Amino acid sequence: MASLLQPDRVLYLVHGEKKIRSSLSTLYFCRYCSELRSLECVSHEVDSHYCPSCLENMPSAEAKLKKNRCANCFDCPCCMHTLSTRATNIPAPLPDDPSKTAMKKAYYLACGFCRWTSRDVGMADKSVASGGWQEPDNPHTQRINKLIEYYQQLAQREKLERDRKKLARRRPYMPLAFSQHTIHVVEKYGLGTRLQRQRPGAPITSLAGLSLKEGEDQKEINIEPAQALDEVEPLPEDYYTRPINLPEVTSLRQRLLQPDFQPAGASQLHPKHKHLLIKRSLRCRKCEHNLSKPEFNPTSIKFKIQLVAVSYIPEVRIMSIPNLRFQKECQVLLTLTNPVESITHVTLVGCEEGDPEDINSTAKVMVPTKELVLAGKDAAADYDELAEPQDFQDDPDVVAFRKSNKIGFFIKVVPQREEDGDVTVSFKIRHDFRNLAAPIRPSEEDDAPTEAIWLTHHVELSLGPLVA
Amino acid sequence: MTPFMLRRIRNRLSKKLKSINKMSDKQNAQKSAKIAAGAVVCVESEIRGEVTIGARTVVHPKARIIAEAGPIVIGEGNLIEEQALIINSYPENIAPDSEGVEPKTMTIGINNVFEVGCMSQALKIGDNNVIESKADLGRNMILTSGCIIGACCQVNTCEVIPENTVIFGSGCQRRVQTERPQPQTLQLDFLMKILPNYHHMKKTVKTTSAVTPAKN
Repeated sequence: MASLLQPDRVLYLVHGEKKIRSSLSTLYFCRYCSELRSLECVSHEVDSHYCPSCLENMPSAEAKLKKNRCANCFDCPCCMHTLSTRATNIPAPLPDDPSKTAMKKAYYLACGFCRWTSRDVGMADKSVASGGWQEPDNPHTQRINKLIEYYQQLAQREKLERDRKKLARRRPYMPLAFSQHTIHVVEKYGLGTRLQRQRPGAPITSLAGLSLKEGEDQKEINIEPAQALDEVEPLPEDYYTRPINLPEVTSLRQRLLQPDFQPAGASQLHPKHKHLLIKRSLRCRKCEHNLSKPEFNPTSIKFKIQLVAVSYIPEVRIMSIPNLRFQKECQVLLTLTNPVESITHVTLVGCEEGDPEDINSTAKVMVPTKELVLAGKDAAADYDELAEPQDFQDDPDVVAFRKSNKIGFFIKVVPQREEDGDVTVSFKIRHDFRNLAAPIRPSEEDDAPTEAIWLTHHVELSLGPLVA
Repeated sequence: MTPFMLRRIRNRLSKKLKSINKMSDKQNAQKSAKIAAGAVVCVESEIRGEVTIGARTVVHPKARIIAEAGPIVIGEGNLIEEQALIINSYPENIAPDSEGVEPKTMTIGINNVFEVGCMSQALKIGDNNVIESKADLGRNMILTSGCIIGACCQVNTCEVIPENTVIFGSGCQRRVQTERPQPQTLQLDFLMKILPNYHHMKKTVKTTSAVTPAKN
């Protein structure tokens, strides 16, 4: 049953600032801290920008200049899909000889999904395939730019004043100290400093040079305050009597995607450049190591660094569930998969009474007490016919089957609550982990090349509703 | 085969034909499709009932045109692709054999495109419409001209769709386009040349009087 393999059936607990329970496929494993990490306890950083349709890479500075939009690709203003350029042949008079007409190619934009074309809004066909399309200018651009400059200058001035006050109060042994508050002020009007995480005590070099600029930048930018008007344009006379042409009215989504104009009529919807997407890298907050770093090339989906939990922690999956009855003992078949290439020993421990992590379980569970041994993942096992099957003495009451690096085992479940809802069961997995990333110290004792440390994870299973 | 056996076989066949003809007294006499000269209809397509197909229409293999509750008249220049289903069926609440049900003719105009896997039960379809893949048209719809019913859109209302309307999206949103979709002449010419190379065609009927779809 495919529904037993759904990701939210088996949840692992992550110890972080918040206790997060999520499936192993969404978690990362920091092998320097030897702990599970979820998306909420890592820091996300932007790696690169790229356009999703033409897959063109763009450096961050250029992306910021173009307001995170691609230069070549357009979005349909009607259904937000990517527009494609189509060509038609148009007879046009030759420039030398007006009497003869030759077939020239004319290009227009068309949407394959909703059949919108650039001719619908009155945009003329262009003679070049790309680069001829312009977005209409916002009439308020100048005023907005002037306002932005003014406020940026104001923010700088405020920040400098605050810094001066702090410096005057602080002891001389902290020359470049400044409060975290000033960093927020700098970011208030988007001065454009690179986002740097606040490390207490560490100086940020980009702000250090500001004290030098103080003498130069004395230009005062004055803005005219906005004027309130008494008279408003009157509504047209037939505003209440004119019948509505529904296809012409734009939807809210179409309107708000063009915040410059927000046209009410569909014949004024112009196409906008396509938004860029980012590739992000993840970093553990405690040890500052990268957990996930994608490749720079937008066409590649691989990772340079990929420390996902599925490739380090044994995964528990539900294989089959019998009919669960209230207060009756049922046997559930689970599988454990070993992701590493070495033999792993796994012990399962039930949760004790009053365990602070055990808040969701609605049934008592009896896990096998013996240690389960999982064979290593052998990539060549399918092709190697002469390999002897490893002989593990398996207790048939506990181990149902064994297949390369997977093992099926039974647990006994006694549902304790008769209410509606899923029967939830939790236990702890304790397994040995060999850290291959640790530096190999030249040891004179004959130690094992890598020492195993024991990790414990709290696992919760959702077994489905009770059968009456 | 002796002449005696041949005569017996012929007698049995003629008796069967007579009985079939008696049963079909209620229905009209036309049993096979009337395919105009110039139309390309593959043998693997299923055409049942009284169907009239105009010139320059291409019917792909595995297309199904079924005239149960009345005749179907298809105009010229249409493109009916694989697994398309054009069916003139009885409305759901009427049993097939009840009296008093007049057979209604389904008319389809010129230059329409029925893409792969669509189903159309609409009684009147005009010109230059495109019914995209897996679209579903109800019986009470009337398409005028230039309409595009998007892929996977199920439209089952009782209305006349105005000209040049596009129905698209999972919520069947609508918008009006300024120009009608172009007739697929290039595609039709290509198919009329290539299909006979790979498929057998149904026989066309030399019609002396041109069959024109009734325009109301």
